[in-house]
Amino acid sequence: MILKTNNLCKKYQHEDGQVNALNNVSFEVNKGDFVTITGASGSGKTTLLLTLAGLIKSTSGQVQINGFDVISASDRKLSEFRKDHIGFVMQSFALIPYLTAIENVMLPLTLSKLSKDQKYKKAFNMLQLVDLENRKNHLPKELSAGQQQRVAIARALVNSPTLILADEPTGNLDPGLSSDILHLLKKINQQENITILMVTHSPLAAEFGNRKINLINGEIN
Amino acid sequence: MNIRKLVWLEFRQHKSQLISGLLAITLGIAVIVGIRSISVVSEKAVAVNLDNLGANILVLPQASNVDNYYAADIDAPTMPEEYVDRIVSSNLQGVDNLSPKLTRRTMIGNENVVLTGILPKNEVTSKPLWQQSGILGNELKASCAPDNAANKSNGFEDEKLQRKSIDSLGTNECLVGSVIATKLKLAEGNPVDILGEKFTVGRVLNETGTIDDDRIFIHLHKAQEILKIPGQVSAIEIMGCCNAISDGLLSKLRNVLPDTRVTTIGQIVATQIQTNKMMNKVSLIFLIIIIFVGGISIGNFMWANINERHKEIGMFRMIGFNKSIIYQMILAKALVLGILGGIIGYILGTLSGMWLGPELAGLPVNPIPMLVLVSLSISIGVSLIGSIIPAYLAGRIEPFNIMQED
Ligand SMILES: Nc1ncnc2c1ncn2[C@@H]1O[C@H](COP(=O)(O)OP(=O)(O)OP(=O)(O)O)[C@@H](O)[C@H]1O
Ligand SMILES: [Mg+2]
Repeated sequence: MILKTNNLCKKYQHEDGQVNALNNVSFEVNKGDFVTITGASGSGKTTLLLTLAGLIKSTSGQVQINGFDVISASDRKLSEFRKDHIGFVMQSFALIPYLTAIENVMLPLTLSKLSKDQKYKKAFNMLQLVDLENRKNHLPKELSAGQQQRVAIARALVNSPTLILADEPTGNLDPGLSSDILHLLKKINQQENITILMVTHSPLAAEFGNRKINLINGEIN
Repeated sequence: MNIRKLVWLEFRQHKSQLISGLLAITLGIAVIVGIRSISVVSEKAVAVNLDNLGANILVLPQASNVDNYYAADIDAPTMPEEYVDRIVSSNLQGVDNLSPKLTRRTMIGNENVVLTGILPKNEVTSKPLWQQSGILGNELKASCAPDNAANKSNGFEDEKLQRKSIDSLGTNECLVGSVIATKLKLAEGNPVDILGEKFTVGRVLNETGTIDDDRIFIHLHKAQEILKIPGQVSAIEIMGCCNAISDGLLSKLRNVLPDTRVTTIGQIVATQIQTNKMMNKVSLIFLIIIIFVGGISIGNFMWANINERHKEIGMFRMIGFNKSIIYQMILAKALVLGILGGIIGYILGTLSGMWLGPELAGLPVNPIPMLVLVSLSISIGVSLIGSIIPAYLAGRIEPFNIMQED
């Protein structure tokens, strides 16, 4: 077991009233799982991913990843934990516009103690994995949407994370590209045995995982 | 890829916006450096003037003024040499050295020179009356006059003081200022014709950068003779000791010599000193202005930059940069800005000082390398201070924003 949540609750305080975005969410994920998280818009999927990574403080409940207590950790500890254990893939890619593909991939290694060459080599290997080694010196704006998302995936992988959290990674891509990305994630999941939690709207995409979690109004159904 | 490189790449990316952020601080530093480099030479000029006189009290004929004295016009007023004896016999306390002078502008060949008659030391000290009153004229230091060390630290050698302690001067001997010597091609031992009289060059004085370079010194009495102004002098220079001056030495002197004008160096160089003071005040005001305006403008620039990079900073947080690394990145950028502002400001200020100096202070202005450090520390300090709040706010950017944005 790599991830375990227990009665996770997140209430957003808003002037229009309180939003119960997550309600007693409890589940476990085993190493090597590819979990897809589905649910209507506003059902709390993004909130769940962010809470798991400690990017949002939960209102109550527990989250443990690889034995690390996400809820009680300090900012410094959490940052370090994310650096070493978590890779993010987002709908909007979130590449740094002034960094080339390979520099973007190297970004999570910025703080590591690896040598310049080692960092470069690792990043290059990841670009190879996503089939973009021949675009390594391109800026994001010089890449297609699908290529940008592949760079983002390479970046999520470069620190050899325990867990990849993906929030609608194919949301901005056309069906053909989506399928490429999903196959890539599947390949990573199977070849590297990296655990993936992927939020998606698409029923088709949801089939790529080996487990499904469906959220309705912040509760697992 | 490391933090430094990351900061640098980002910096390069937004370099076109830098100008607005750096403008205030760069101009501020430039003004400070410009003013400082001019006032340094101007302060030196004061020192030169002090030194040039070698005295801090000047007794001039009633109708005269300091400008007359320096201009040494043909009809500049004079007063009797006998006044020297009057001062001596009055037994005033705090009068350390007396030096009567006769100064006239004249032509030698085609060159305009200032002919200055002086009394060599041996004659001053040999006057029995003077010895009695203990005024020996050996010591050329009044208690508040700049001593040699002070002169040296300002880059001046003792040459001008040597002139005043000229031990002996033959009646047909002359000492020639360096500029005149060059113009007239004179060397030690050469003959020179002054107003129809034959003189021999006793010595060529080292360059002083003062009006002395244009002077030819001869014996006072010889000067009176050839200028046909017997028994008259244009000025009496006095080394007065500071305490005595504040105890009213000037008015006592005025009592002894009612029909003269008695001024102190203070009054003579007052304008220059005042200008320097004003310049320093202006620098101070500018310093305060750049601390505020420069700090605010850099802070504003950083703030805009951080807002623009909200997503990016959220991204950094997400991949594991903790708050202190975000602070470091922002402050590193501020450091680069500060260094740039300091260096550019120094260069601009020095260039404008060199350009304006000759017009404002009438003196050539040289770059002052020390000011690079001052510029850098002011600029870096202001830039860092201005960036503290933006850095703090950047640290508070929560990474989840970027997951929810577009
Ligand atoms: N910062 C916030 N303050 C208040 N309410 C919020 C905030 N963020 C999200 N919510 C609310 O929490 C609920 C869950 O939001 P969340 O973004 O997790 O949904 P989602 O399942 O990811 O939706 P989508 O599929 O549209 O991305 C929503 O009802 C939303 O309005
Ligand atoms: Mg969402």
